[in-house]
Amino acid sequence: MTETALQRHRPRKGSLVLPKSDVVPASLAAPMTGLPRFLILCFVAALVLVPLLATALGGFKELGELRTNPFGLPRVWQWENYWGILASARYWRILGNSLFISAVTVALTLAVAAPAAFAFAHLRFFGQRFLFNYFILGLTFPFATAILPLFIKVRDLGLLDTHWGIILPQVAFSQALSILLMRNAFRQLPSELLDAALVDGCGYARFFLWITLPLSRPILATVAVITFVVSWNNFLLPLVVINTNAKYPWTLGLMDYQGEFIVAWQLILAFITLTILPAVLMFVLAQRYIVSGLTAGAVKG
Amino acid sequence: MLVKALSGLALAFAIGLSSAQAADVTVRMLHVNETGDPFWKKIAEDYNATHKGVKVTVDYMENEAYKAKLPTLLQSDDRPDIIYSWAGGVMKAQIEAGYIQDISAHKAEFDQVIYPAPLSAYEVDGKLYGVSVQLSEVLLIYNKAMLAKAGIDPAAMKTWDGFLDVLKKTKGAGVTPLIMGGADKWPMHFFYSYLLMRLGGADVLTTAETTEGGFKAQPFVDAGAKLKELAALEPFQEGWLGTKYLPSQGQFGDGKGAMALQLNGFIQGQQKNATDGKGIPNDQIGQAPFPEVPGGKGKITDTLGGVQGFLVTKDAPPEAIDFLKYFVSAEAQKASAEAGVYVPATKGTDAFIKNPLVAEVARAISNSTWHQNFLDQDLGPSVGRVVNDVSVAIAAGDMTPEEGAQQIQDAWDQR
Amino acid sequence: MADTTASPPGKASYVHSGGLTALIFLPPALTLFTVFVILPIGEAGWYGFYNWNGLAALENFVGLQNYQQLLANKTFHQAFINNLLIIAVSLAVQLPLALSMAVLLADRLVGSVAFRMMFFLPYILADVAAGLIWRFMFDGDYGPISQIWQALGGDPLYILADRDWAYAAVLTVIVWKYFGFHMMLYIAGLQNIDRNLYEAAAIDGASPWQRFRHITLPGLSPMIKLSVFFSLLGSLQFFDMIVSLTGGGPLNSSHTMVSFLYYFGIGRMRVGFGSAVGVLLFILCATVAFGYKRLLMRDDHD
Repeated sequence: MTETALQRHRPRKGSLVLPKSDVVPASLAAPMTGLPRFLILCFVAALVLVPLLATALGGFKELGELRTNPFGLPRVWQWENYWGILASARYWRILGNSLFISAVTVALTLAVAAPAAFAFAHLRFFGQRFLFNYFILGLTFPFATAILPLFIKVRDLGLLDTHWGIILPQVAFSQALSILLMRNAFRQLPSELLDAALVDGCGYARFFLWITLPLSRPILATVAVITFVVSWNNFLLPLVVINTNAKYPWTLGLMDYQGEFIVAWQLILAFITLTILPAVLMFVLAQRYIVSGLTAGAVKG
Repeated sequence: MLVKALSGLALAFAIGLSSAQAADVTVRMLHVNETGDPFWKKIAEDYNATHKGVKVTVDYMENEAYKAKLPTLLQSDDRPDIIYSWAGGVMKAQIEAGYIQDISAHKAEFDQVIYPAPLSAYEVDGKLYGVSVQLSEVLLIYNKAMLAKAGIDPAAMKTWDGFLDVLKKTKGAGVTPLIMGGADKWPMHFFYSYLLMRLGGADVLTTAETTEGGFKAQPFVDAGAKLKELAALEPFQEGWLGTKYLPSQGQFGDGKGAMALQLNGFIQGQQKNATDGKGIPNDQIGQAPFPEVPGGKGKITDTLGGVQGFLVTKDAPPEAIDFLKYFVSAEAQKASAEAGVYVPATKGTDAFIKNPLVAEVARAISNSTWHQNFLDQDLGPSVGRVVNDVSVAIAAGDMTPEEGAQQIQDAWDQR
Repeated sequence: MADTTASPPGKASYVHSGGLTALIFLPPALTLFTVFVILPIGEAGWYGFYNWNGLAALENFVGLQNYQQLLANKTFHQAFINNLLIIAVSLAVQLPLALSMAVLLADRLVGSVAFRMMFFLPYILADVAAGLIWRFMFDGDYGPISQIWQALGGDPLYILADRDWAYAAVLTVIVWKYFGFHMMLYIAGLQNIDRNLYEAAAIDGASPWQRFRHITLPGLSPMIKLSVFFSLLGSLQFFDMIVSLTGGGPLNSSHTMVSFLYYFGIGRMRVGFGSAVGVLLFILCATVAFGYKRLLMRDDHD
């Protein structure tokens, strides 16, 4: 990669991949500025946000009111729809399950992929090219393709209906992209560092732990974000693996709730709102990191 | 190597866990009866109170979700001890796969408590695997007021042509004739099943199963043709293809349609799931048998319905069987019978039934000349689902009756 | 412990021989990956030749029968077409939308960042939740869209019950959900275009449209190719939203290949058949992944 790429990837507080300059010449902007542009943007924004608002507000209404007052504020705010869910163990349990699964997936992914990426980045060993391409195979297909044999394997390992039955396959499937991203990032670090370290008698492991990892925080954050979001939103794998209500992550819990209260849309809407709230909050609080993480992963992968 | 290591670890973990739980024996029961749920939970409560050291939990899962999850549920080590069943081919498949416990040792005791015919549905090759708990019948449930408004006399529905006339007249009067939960598909297969029964007579299925190409026999094609004839009248409510079963109950309860060809349990369901929570009261509901089809070998007293009950899964503790014995006793079933939520299969409970509609159903079943189990359960998991698919496809005009019969035959050959 | 052979002084290289270290660093990733990724896909290939319900013994070898049934299955044809439709809509509707929004928002005008975040928001929601939200929106009895339609004088609108329009509803939701992601890709691409080109072009008297056609589009070309690549791969995996929005109905008109695999393979415990679907999907994905990279992204990779 070129020097500018190197500059880009040198860790800087708060910035990940978006280039330094966020300003682009005004002549690039469409011939529209000012009011027409603003109106168009508002229109699109309305299309994007209205479903979300209708859902959130719908949770405050009675079922019959949904038919007469789809977009407006509720006539009488039915707080108990929301309170009932917030007060239920079910709601916190499914969020807790998702948090546990996603957190462990991220930790394990980093713990397992980083050393592998380091090995591919810096070490020369027998079968290196072959093994690397072996991992890259994992980028070519989603686990939906192998879901049936995967189910059987999880079953045969006795991991059916356990959170580890979700965590381990997720970690496995995230290896390809994580190793690729981290290998590239590790290679960006000045090679003189490693040479010097080796001359000084520092082993690879110590170099990896004390120098590579600390200097690679941005890419670790990127991989963490991508892995977390994918795990948090995962539906197919838990659907096939988990059967006990108590162990459902929030995606399964949502569909379970909908199946149970299928005639009560107002409750379902409240439940949807409350279950997507954590993701929305995370997004609002950490926008730049999430956007950078997800798009950077896309670009560099 | 890793596989062995992991399995070894899992085994050690499991042993550790189970030895730590010497305290209470847990028994888990999973079922799909929404209206029966509170009563069954009460039975478990009563049992737990009088049996220290055992903790029975009763869980409800929605019908379709249960059917979808059951295969994977059974394969997990965490499977429930007592599972809801409709007997038939699906049960046989589960037994063959080795997931159901043989409880023949207790047959004599159950014989005393449960009617012989329903109980025998849970026997395979002379061995008993479960018990029958509720009997149900599919019949034409109608809203008396709405039919009266359209000027219909329910007696006109005794014949097929009369029934079609009723549909036309009802529609002409601006009333939606039939409520249909098409999205779940099995409600539509009731029509196909009854037509098949009326046309083919009591041995129509056994003949098909034992003959080469038997599912393409005339009754199967004719049933599809009659279904097509009915659907051509467009008797169902708007959006029926996208309406699931429970919301369809709600629609009936909201007075959106005059009739439904459904299980007797639909009546309580529509009261629960209506928008106002009250639905159509019992005294405004009428029940009629499915019409006779001229030229058919079946009789109007042949009934389509379920012999629903429970199976005991492999590795369930003996306390599970003990709980089942209490569960099916007349004493435990009394409350459900009185509330009329279903027709119990337990001897002596018909005395408790207060709801005249339910009593009527109980009579119809005991007088039935042929009680056929739901086709989508009886024919086994993959064939059964194809019957559902075919019924909806024919009704939606997407498939010809011949194609439908062919598909069922293919599914049977490939099962 | 580790091999500490350093390269000769003066030769800066980032590759050192380290077989031993590799033996410690690689196995965890390798094992997990092999057990849960590579083995299953291999097994899918194997199971695809059997008629198996996953419970009994694996003994009913049927050769290519599963594949024959699959290729003759009308629902699968529809599912395949549906996958193609996702790609078509991504190219014809989503891409232009994302591009125009990107052009409007690439610069730091007032509110740009806010709008960008708003448009990106649907992308971070789980597909299954987005599907459920729109299941409500499209509901004939309680949904707002039907209300609007009725306010305009129509009867209640049961889009999701209509065999011909249900999938159109699915495609709409896909655009709603993903255009923001592609927009952000394009914004990143736009910001990498050298501003001098624009100034030079402006001096030469090029119109905004000409500048767009000859500077912006070519400059964005790598990003657009990447964006299309994601649409392709994403469409092949599409599943979650189908479950919550339509369940594959009505009349199996809105299945994608993965939802077909789930309902007809897993749902009916036809493991052999489902595995055949998986293998076909794998071949498609691998072809797209390798073929696309080869053909179109040669110059953009290191």
